[in-house]
Amino acid sequence: MLTRKLSPLQMAIMAAALAVVLFPVFWILMTSIKPPTDWNASPAIWVPTKPTLVNFKTLFDPDALREYGVGGVSQSATKAVLGSLLASLVATALSVAIGLLAAIGISRYGNGSKATPLIILSGRMFPPAAIAVPFVIIFSSIGLTDSYVGLIAIYVAATLPFSTWMLKSFVDDLPREIEEAAMIDGLSRLRAHLTVTIPLIRGGLFATTMFIFILNWSEFMFALVLAYSNISTIPVQLAKYVTATAGTLYGVQAALAVLAMVPLVIVGYLIQSHLARGMTFGAIKQ
Amino acid sequence: MTDITGTTGMTGIAAIEKEAMALPPAAVTAGGSLPKAAKPSRIGLYLTLPGQIVSVLVLVVPLLVALYMSFTDWTPTRGSLLAAQLVGIDNYSELLVWDTRFIYAVIRTLCLSVVCLSLEFAFGLGLAVLFLREFRGKSVLFSAFLTPMMILPVVVGYIFWMLFQSNGPVNQMLEFVLGPQHTVEWFRSAPFAVLAVIVTEVWHWTPLFFLILLSGLNSVPENPVRAAVILGASPRQVFWRVVMPMLKPVIIVAFVIRSMEIIKLFDEVFMLTRGGPGSSTETVSLYIYKLAFNDFQLAYGAAAAFLVLLGCLAMIHLLLTPVRDQLLAGGR
Repeated sequence: MLTRKLSPLQMAIMAAALAVVLFPVFWILMTSIKPPTDWNASPAIWVPTKPTLVNFKTLFDPDALREYGVGGVSQSATKAVLGSLLASLVATALSVAIGLLAAIGISRYGNGSKATPLIILSGRMFPPAAIAVPFVIIFSSIGLTDSYVGLIAIYVAATLPFSTWMLKSFVDDLPREIEEAAMIDGLSRLRAHLTVTIPLIRGGLFATTMFIFILNWSEFMFALVLAYSNISTIPVQLAKYVTATAGTLYGVQAALAVLAMVPLVIVGYLIQSHLARGMTFGAIKQ
Repeated sequence: MTDITGTTGMTGIAAIEKEAMALPPAAVTAGGSLPKAAKPSRIGLYLTLPGQIVSVLVLVVPLLVALYMSFTDWTPTRGSLLAAQLVGIDNYSELLVWDTRFIYAVIRTLCLSVVCLSLEFAFGLGLAVLFLREFRGKSVLFSAFLTPMMILPVVVGYIFWMLFQSNGPVNQMLEFVLGPQHTVEWFRSAPFAVLAVIVTEVWHWTPLFFLILLSGLNSVPENPVRAAVILGASPRQVFWRVVMPMLKPVIIVAFVIRSMEIIKLFDEVFMLTRGGPGSSTETVSLYIYKLAFNDFQLAYGAAAAFLVLLGCLAMIHLLLTPVRDQLLAGGR
């Protein structure tokens, strides 16, 4: 603002901060390519001398560790990976589709009183542990526990406030006059929204979709309480690996953690300029 | 569907007329033939209906069930919820008066929130101020600093669980700097377990403060700053007296958003300590989870959850008052 360049001290601070930020990521990446002999070495090994992909292979083929003479994991993570993909993709599509309709409705037709957004925000505040209790009861009486339908329903409801509000902020940015011009040209309201509004906010639509995907992919507690044997997601599987093996299969656990985090980091960088908007319900734009 | 063709809302009439002046005659006739029976609010209702149905079915109904349940003594072994005995406010009074574990969990969560949010704010602001300068590789560094908040909470918890193992890299570094007698069993002693949780949480969410504060700083108008400089203010004065007051709404938004999230803190602690040792890192969410899904005291857990919700609502209401319009209008 006033000074233009970084002083050497500031540069040092920045470098230290960068090291702190990146070290944990570096550690998990390195651990995921360590052979079993390096997992629990003391003193800890920072960079494996013989990097290997066997940990990742073990996730899908529990016997892959045999060649190292180590008992593998009891459960393959294939189901968890597929489950995470299924639940996140379907829930994201539904949440964004419903949210888009609601966003246009709220932004363009001013439906809903001042109280509605506050109710939506309150929904976000409620601890998931609390909502999980009635869900488990209701779902068990209609046979939806341990099913993807139930999990997806919760995910859609939980992310709907985010998708609605983020999309609404994009629709708000678009001047009404553009749609109104299209309506004068003889298009119906719905067609005008379909052919004018939605194409014009496609950047925002993409960002919102990615953001909702991040939320769904990261979700842990609902999956934890709803998953018994039929369904699984990556976070639940990771927690299971840590408990089941008393935390000794570091390499395999780290491989699953990396598998869980890589898509999110890529998606996160893609929509970096919209992250603030998503996290703040559209209150802050960049 | 017929009643929504080719009509525009009352609010748009003036704009339409302005638009119509510039359009060829044919378009004007089309605009002129708008049916009078237009009901602009109905299409708005149709559009928001799916969202409202989902919210009612999947959020409101379970909440009402939980509310009813919190006034009963129901546990899964007693069969149907309808057969449960109503016990009035027994669950609530038990929680507020006798359940020290609950009360400590609440106090612990609040203290954790204050400490973590203060640190996240301080670090985030410091970093954001550094990013106002010009330097090479700024955009790459910007992305790098955002990395932690893009990682899912469970994995963050897992990563730090590894880092804080007794033969992990944190202890290795402590040994290197301070000597072998200074290594720590992080998850065996209460203060260090709490410290581990704080470090994890601050690492994970400082980037959010950084991101929000930087976008706030970048949108501070230049003229007041220039004026203050011309009038002889020092950089420090400019920052605290001119820039910070203008940043206040952004700061409050950041705190509101983060408070809403940290009150629910669960994933990271679940992976790091499961609330241990003892219950020294047990947050409210973790306690409710254990009540409901380890001890199966579902009714009691629901009551605890409602108490927490009331507390959150009151707190967020207070925090939100100064910036409600900005937040709820989507920054319009």
